Amino acid sequence: MAVLAPASRPAAPVPRRKRQARLLSDRRTRFGLLNAAPVVLYLLILFVYPIFSTLMLSLKDQAGGFTLHWYADAFRGANLEILLTTLRISAETSLISLVVGFVLASAICRLKPLWAGLAMLVVVVPHFISALVRTYGWIILLGDNGVVNNALTDSRFPGAPFQLLYNEIGVVIGTTAVMLPYTVLLLYAVMKGIDRRLLAAAASMGAGKITIFRRVYVPLVAPGLVNAGVLCFILCLGYYLTPALMGGEKQTMVASLIDEQVMKQNQWNGASALGIILLLFTFAGLILLRLLKSAGEAYRNRGTAS
Amino acid sequence: MIELRATLAGRIALAVLSTLILLFLAMPIIVIVVTSFGKDAFGSFPPEAWTLGWYEQLFADGSKWPAALSLSVLVASLTTVFSLVLGITAATALVRSDLPLRSAVYGLVLAPLVIPQVVIALGLFLLFEPAAMLGSPIAIAFGHTVLASPIAVMILMATLKGIDERLEDAAASMGASRLTVWRRITFPLAAPGMIAAAIFSFITSFDEFFISQFLSSVDTVTLPVQVFNVLQYNVDPSVTAVSAILIAVAVVALALVVAVRRLGGPGKQAGLLPTESAVSLPAGSETR
Repeated sequence: MAVLAPASRPAAPVPRRKRQARLLSDRRTRFGLLNAAPVVLYLLILFVYPIFSTLMLSLKDQAGGFTLHWYADAFRGANLEILLTTLRISAETSLISLVVGFVLASAICRLKPLWAGLAMLVVVVPHFISALVRTYGWIILLGDNGVVNNALTDSRFPGAPFQLLYNEIGVVIGTTAVMLPYTVLLLYAVMKGIDRRLLAAAASMGAGKITIFRRVYVPLVAPGLVNAGVLCFILCLGYYLTPALMGGEKQTMVASLIDEQVMKQNQWNGASALGIILLLFTFAGLILLRLLKSAGEAYRNRGTAS
Repeated sequence: MIELRATLAGRIALAVLSTLILLFLAMPIIVIVVTSFGKDAFGSFPPEAWTLGWYEQLFADGSKWPAALSLSVLVASLTTVFSLVLGITAATALVRSDLPLRSAVYGLVLAPLVIPQVVIALGLFLLFEPAAMLGSPIAIAFGHTVLASPIAVMILMATLKGIDERLEDAAASMGASRLTVWRRITFPLAAPGMIAAAIFSFITSFDEFFISQFLSSVDTVTLPVQVFNVLQYNVDPSVTAVSAILIAVAVVALALVVAVRRLGGPGKQAGLLPTESAVSLPAGSETR
C-alpha cells in the first residue's frame, strides 16, 4: 500500500505534462477514475445528454430539418414580452434581495454569537422548507382578506386594502422571500471575513463614518455583492412556482411559458428553444461573474503593487 | 464594526429593520402552521376557533393525498439511495485520489444546481418519454438524483476532508486491505456526514416540484405536484394541513442533521448549509 503513503505524491510542482503521464500509471489515479466513473456516467446520461437533446429539438422543424424558426419565434410578440418580463422581475427581485440581504447580514454580523445563531436559524430553516409551501403562506398573507390587508384596514391605513396578489408586487414579494436566504448567507460569509482592523485603520487616519463605509467597507464587500446579485438573478430567471401562483397574466415568466407550451400546447420545439435561451442567459451570467471576478482581482493586485 | 457604530438611534433603527426582515422570512411559515389548525381556513388570523379537521380530511375516503404522500416517500427514499452511492464514490474520487481533470469533474457535479430546473426537467422528459417511463417512481427518482447528488457530494467532500488521512494510512500500513480500511476506519468516521447527506437528499427530493411535474403521469403525482395543482385550480383548505406536514418534515430533518453533527466526529465539518457552497459555485468551478 505504498501508494497511500504521502511520500509517493509529488511534493514540488512537476511540469504538468510529465506529472499527468506519471499520474496515469499511478494507482491513486486509477482509484480516482474508478470512483468518479459512476457520477460522471450518471450525469452524462441524465443531465448532459438530455440538455443536448433539448438543444437538438430546438433546432428542428416539423419535417426534421434544421431551422432557427423557434428562436425567431421566441424573440417575437408575446414571447418577447414574456422574456423581457422575466428579465425585469429577476432584476427587481435580485436588487431588493441584495439591499435587504445586505441590511440583515450586516446586522447579524454585529450580534453576539447566541443571537447571531438564532437569527441565522430564521434565515436557514425557511430555506429548507419547500418554496411551494412558503408561496402558499404568502398567498394567505397577502389576499384581499389576508393577514396583511386586515391589519392595515383595522389600523385605518389610508388606501387599504391593497391589491397585493396576482400582480407584480405579489410576485416580487414572494420571489424575494425565496431568494433572500441565498443573499444573506453569501453576504454574511463575506462580511465575517472582513478584517476589522482595516476599518479601524481608516478611522485612525481621520476618516468619517460615511467615508469608511463608502471607501473601505463597501469595496471589501463588493465581490460578495456581485456574486450574490448575479446568482440571485440567474436563479430567478428559471424560477417558476411563485410567479405562477402569485402573478397575474402580465407576470408570466419564461418557465411558465415553457410549462404551458409543453403541457397544454404540446409544442416541444418552441419550449426547447426557450429552455436553451434560458440556459444561454444563465451561462452569460456565470461568465459575467467570472469576468468581474478576475477584473476585481486585477484591480486589487494593481492597488497593492503601487 | 466598532468604527461604524452609529448613534443609539441608528442602532435601534437597524435592530427594528432586521427584526422586520426576519419576520418577513418567518411569517409565511407561521401563518400556514397556525391556519392549518384554524376552523375557518381563510378567515381571521389568528383563528377564532381551533380544529384538527383539515388533517382528518387528508385521510378521508377518496382523498388523493395518501397516494401522493406515499409516492413522494418512495421517490425520496430511492433518491436518497442513488445519491448516497454517487455521493460517496464521487467524494472519494475528488478528495482521496489523484483524479485527472479533477476540477472539470467537480464542475460537472455541481452544475445541476445552477442550471434552470425547467431545462433539466424538459430534457429528462425527452429522455423518459420514448422509454415509456413517465409516472414511474424510478424515473422521477433518477431525475431527483440529478439535483440531490451535488448536495450529497458537497457534504461528503467536507466530511472526507475532515477525516485525518493519516488514520487511513496507518491502518493500511498495518496491512489492512483497502476495503477493510474503508469499513473499519473511514466509514465509522464518515457516518455522521453520510447521515446528513442522506437527510438532505431526502428533503431535496421530497420538496422537488418541477421534475416531478414533467415526469409524472395522471395517476402518479408527488405531493408537491398535488399541492400545486390544488392551489392552481381549486381551493381546498386541507392544503394548509399538507403544507404544515411538509414544514414539519423539513424541520425534523434539519433538527436531525444538527443532532448528528452534535454527535461529533468529522461530520462536524460537513456543512449544515450545503447551499452556502452551492451558491458560490462559480468561484469553485473556474475550470469549466
